[in-house]
Amino acid sequence: MGVVTDKLPGALEKVPGGNVLVTRFDEIINWARANSLWPLTFGTSCCAIEMLMATGGPRHDLARFGAEVARPSPRQADLLILAGTIVKRMAPRLRTLYEQMAEPRYVIATGACTISGGPFIYHSYTTVRGADEIIPVDVYVPGCPPRPEQLFHGLLTLQKMIKEGETIREPGVRRKPVISALPEGVTLEDIQGQMKELLVKENVVDVQHAVDKLKWPSGLNERSSGKSDANESGAGDGT
Amino acid sequence: MEREALQAAVCELDSAVRPLDENADRAAVIVEASALPAIIRRLRDEPEFAFAQLLDHVAVDWIDRGQFELIYQLYSFKHKHFLSVSVLVPREDPRVPTLCRVHPVAEWQEREVYDLFGVLYEDHPDLRRLFLEDDWIGFPLRKDYQDDFMLDRPR
Repeated sequence: MGVVTDKLPGALEKVPGGNVLVTRFDEIINWARANSLWPLTFGTSCCAIEMLMATGGPRHDLARFGAEVARPSPRQADLLILAGTIVKRMAPRLRTLYEQMAEPRYVIATGACTISGGPFIYHSYTTVRGADEIIPVDVYVPGCPPRPEQLFHGLLTLQKMIKEGETIREPGVRRKPVISALPEGVTLEDIQGQMKELLVKENVVDVQHAVDKLKWPSGLNERSSGKSDANESGAGDGT
Repeated sequence: MEREALQAAVCELDSAVRPLDENADRAAVIVEASALPAIIRRLRDEPEFAFAQLLDHVAVDWIDRGQFELIYQLYSFKHKHFLSVSVLVPREDPRVPTLCRVHPVAEWQEREVYDLFGVLYEDHPDLRRLFLEDDWIGFPLRKDYQDDFMLDRPR
């Protein structure tokens, strides 16, 4: 519980007597979902080796973003990273795998083949021209194959989408698919620097900043300001 | 054996074998389709050649010449030398005797070539499609293959 109160100040408030008050349930659920994505081990060609397996390894290390628990069974997975060409014979199997996955399920399409058919778009008798002809895709990561950092960029984009996305009032309603393309002229050192910065930022909690960001209803604002002393003393008792 | 010596020795075997000099890196011969299984069997059994492995079997569609070229890659563990054996068959009626009795691995390799080129292997025990669906129409690696799914590159 301490983790949640630290990471999401304001979403879960301690009240005197050892109880907690949940203020924004969506945020807690989405935060938990975004940080424990379980990808399905699904690679159909070269992208899986060059990018997906490389990110799972210790040099790039997908575990830093909480998505390292690759599952061989779709029933235990909620993230489908499409890595490689999808051909006509694979298409029904892919659809079956997607439908077996637990809701809510997310899909990242990586590489030119999965996005559009890539080099096999013309004169091919078997390559499906884009995986989104078969299943809905949330994030597109272009490249042939993408660098592992680009997959991280796509994963972080998906996490951002999840955190801002679904609510309990409108289940299943998500944002539109996005392309997670790296801007031109960005070097590897830039990406690694940004990732490091982001990791540090994610792991440092600025409680005051988060509290300032909260949008309370206007009536509550006055009451909370009046009761702020009592709240602080209550929290002090609790800890 | 060296490339030239091996090629010459293989051509001595039978009158149905002719040298093929288009390949510069590997001994290569052309064989008449009817004589193919006997030649391959002799290449396997005679200790001078000892081609014990059929490495690969592929086809080339020479649409301008109206021919399929069937290429058998042989390898000898004993002598560590390679041989490429080609057979030319007409595109309209591509028939060739199967090599299943000589090299059992040829069964699936020939199924693959049948699947994608439509070459018919006489006496093959199980000539079905290998990669494509059983109800697929046509042979997609033929140069003149067309279907509704394929896109042409815009000019």
